[in-house]
Amino acid sequence: MIAYTFKRLLTLVPTLLAASVLVFLFIHLIPGDPAAILLGDTATPEEILALTRELGLDRPLWQQYVLWFKNVLSGDLGRSLFFDTPVLQVIADGAETSILLALLTMFWIVILGIPIGIVSASYKGTWIDQVTSGFAMLFASIPTFWLGLYLILIFSVGLGWLPSSGFPSVSDEGGWTNMRYLILPSLTLAAPNAALIIRLVRSSMLDVSREDHVRTARSKGLHPARVAIKHVFRNALIAVAAAFGFTFAALISEAVVTETVFSLPGIGRLVVQSILRRDYPVIQGVILIIVVLYMFVNLLVDLAYAWLDPRVSLS
Amino acid sequence: MKLLTFVKEALEGRKLATAGAIWLLIIVVAGIAAPLIAPFDPLEIDPIARLSEPGTPYLFGTDHFGRDTFSRAVYGARMALIIGIGSVMVALLCGGLVGMLSGYFTGLGHVLMRMVDVLMAFPALLLALVLMTVLERSVFNTILVIGIVYATTTARILFGMMLKLKNEVFIDAARCSGAGHLSLLFRHILPNLLSPILVQATFIFAFAQLQAAALDFLGLGLPPEVPSWGNMLAEERIYITRAPWLLIFPGVLIILSVFSMNLLGDALRDRIDPRFKDDIAGV
Repeated sequence: MIAYTFKRLLTLVPTLLAASVLVFLFIHLIPGDPAAILLGDTATPEEILALTRELGLDRPLWQQYVLWFKNVLSGDLGRSLFFDTPVLQVIADGAETSILLALLTMFWIVILGIPIGIVSASYKGTWIDQVTSGFAMLFASIPTFWLGLYLILIFSVGLGWLPSSGFPSVSDEGGWTNMRYLILPSLTLAAPNAALIIRLVRSSMLDVSREDHVRTARSKGLHPARVAIKHVFRNALIAVAAAFGFTFAALISEAVVTETVFSLPGIGRLVVQSILRRDYPVIQGVILIIVVLYMFVNLLVDLAYAWLDPRVSLS
Repeated sequence: MKLLTFVKEALEGRKLATAGAIWLLIIVVAGIAAPLIAPFDPLEIDPIARLSEPGTPYLFGTDHFGRDTFSRAVYGARMALIIGIGSVMVALLCGGLVGMLSGYFTGLGHVLMRMVDVLMAFPALLLALVLMTVLERSVFNTILVIGIVYATTTARILFGMMLKLKNEVFIDAARCSGAGHLSLLFRHILPNLLSPILVQATFIFAFAQLQAAALDFLGLGLPPEVPSWGNMLAEERIYITRAPWLLIFPGVLIILSVFSMNLLGDALRDRIDPRFKDDIAGV
């Protein structure tokens, strides 16, 4: 297990470095002088010259990369053109919303996806299975922003039960009751992902239920529900755990859309607004952080997978 | 011809998937014959008839410019086909080639598949957003960007299939009888991969619709004047309470098309060669 962890960490390094090169090159892919791009339209020639010196933009590309990488390691991701504050600060401001949204979404995915998936697999081939599988696929086919707009129309505009947009911090007035602002966004975000988990739980449970140890459990007369939970689901969970890396990526992608629909002050909306504002330092910073985070999540998922299924680390 | 029988066999006894296939046929016909079906020019503005309700002469009502929603939806079907087919072609050509060559020439594969890994370190929509920041908003660029995003998964899937296939006895036999690399790759291996590639293509087509709609909604996809279902939703979202039909029609069209494509993909996957079943994830 320790050897496997070490090996997995080692393979992470080159990928991380290569990804950081891509993120670094992003500024250079945009047509125009990088210093002028980083400073925006209002920059004077003196300012551009000063930044060119500071970032070493007159030096060879690889030296620029080394300098940029050193800055990143010391926590300096540059300055936002729009806010005129450090990029790291801008991202940190959006972190609370995005993290709470992700946690609440994960909660829905787990409490909806897993039980429905188990029921669907247990009643394989019956109308219950057909209805749940059909709805799961339908929900995976709905554009998130469309679902969000209609949830707002029904629950905010129509019934007036829940707020339609924004999110005051939980440290502001209202405290944790402010979480109600995140109920509709998290359900929107959870719908397609819970649908994927339902289908995944179902198919991995069906795979496991064909194995010998399950037949043994059944033939020694155990209650079907006990077999389903203790013998089948526990093993099927391995495949489900492995899918959480994928779910995390989907959450980030769809959070960009969901946070825009519900005007949430999170990192996803920050990406879109920064793109529209041409605030390139922020775009670059957010992408770097998301990529690192995503790789880290994948690492944890792989390690969890190896821990749950020892065959993985031995092969 | 073989692919057609494959599809026919896969749909046997699956009513919902067959209904989906019929719906997709309707979309294809609507897309091809759009100028014949649409009663109005999708860009024609009728200021007097702004936000009129569904009825005659505007079957699906009109938007805030007074443009006919039905005609725009029909032309939107054409755009959906262009985006879907275009993205599938880019993904299969780039990703398919990389995956096949990597699986066949293992040395090359080590390099190429690591590059795929790096691209896969970026979550899908994020990669598309970043690329669209650098590129201009256009139909071609949207296709290119979505195609590249799914080229990575396609490469990985075909890489896995290639590793399984190239050790089969019939490949050894062909090699022993003097077949060269090109002949082995394209005459002996590729035909065996066609049905899994078709399954993968249906899923990419479905995902591409959702991605394109999301990009349109964020204002980073097709140019705003292009009549696509995503743009219709993006432009009319503020009229959701005053004119709900403006969001219902394009939304339902997207959902039905993606749903149908997923059903079709599912049916095809169940019919596929069992060797490849685990490789294709889909929905």
